[in-house]
Amino acid sequence: MVKRDKLEIIKDILKIIKENHGHMKMTPLLRKSNLSSKRFADYKTDLLDREMIFETEDKKKGRQILITPKGMEFLEKYRAIVHFVEEFDL
Amino acid sequence: MALIEQILFPNTFGMELVYSFVIIFCSLIVYFSTKKMYDISKHPGIRYFRISFLFFALAYFFKSFISFLLVFSGFRGLIEFLSVFPGVTTVFLFMYTSTMAIFYLLYSIVWKKTAGEKFLIPLVHALVLVISFGSLLIRSAWVIILLQILLFSFIAIYNYASYRKLSQKKKTGSIHVIYLFLFLFWMLNLSDILIANFSPFFEFLISLVSIGIFLIILYKVTKNVGLN
Repeated sequence: MVKRDKLEIIKDILKIIKENHGHMKMTPLLRKSNLSSKRFADYKTDLLDREMIFETEDKKKGRQILITPKGMEFLEKYRAIVHFVEEFDL
Repeated sequence: MALIEQILFPNTFGMELVYSFVIIFCSLIVYFSTKKMYDISKHPGIRYFRISFLFFALAYFFKSFISFLLVFSGFRGLIEFLSVFPGVTTVFLFMYTSTMAIFYLLYSIVWKKTAGEKFLIPLVHALVLVISFGSLLIRSAWVIILLQILLFSFIAIYNYASYRKLSQKKKTGSIHVIYLFLFLFWMLNLSDILIANFSPFFEFLISLVSIGIFLIILYKVTKNVGLN
């Protein structure tokens, strides 16, 4: 299996949340992202810092991760970013 | 030959000005048009690529400023020019920005191999500043030129290896060829400043090819990111 790079992992995490109507609980997200708990925590912190996701706490639904407009924009431009990085070998 | 050159290229400074303007314009468009892409991705390679073109814009600005001062202040050669404060400052800034432009372009393709070495970039900045200052102190640009040739050689070897690797994978790798030409013509550009009475015809040819290279890079960038 080919090792995913950072951009691809971010895309995968955001895509999982988007395909789940834009919000998701932590445990299924961790499971579906195919990352270790430690790496997932690092990516979560990174995405929170970049304001691509945010966390909410609800009494009924519990802790949830939501995708932000910035996260949606990343998904829209992901292909262009990857193409650019490949074209200039960055 | 000299007479033909005078007729064909009567105003070398005017040509230099147009040439620098086009390259500064291309470099700044590359820098600003990739801002959005960097803001979204925070990709280190895109960051170094952008900084490189910012330094290229600055380097060409200082290069044309040196030509401007040389033409309009009546200095006879670079040695006399370096005896005044505006001259020495501009040459210092030119040496620093041009070397950093080459370094950042190189670093944009090799950063993955040095990731985690936090002190590398500040160290290179300090080193280039010291070498640029030292070159001016000993009144010899050859130290900085040697450094740029060293960077250039490294890029040439790395680019050739990458080009071969990509060719084997049947990917184009055309950017490596473009980078090689960019550095080759950059070095020829330097000779234009350092060699007195450089042939206007060759100066014109170098300018034309350099503009072509920057326009190709600009085209490749805008094709990917658009102009927003």
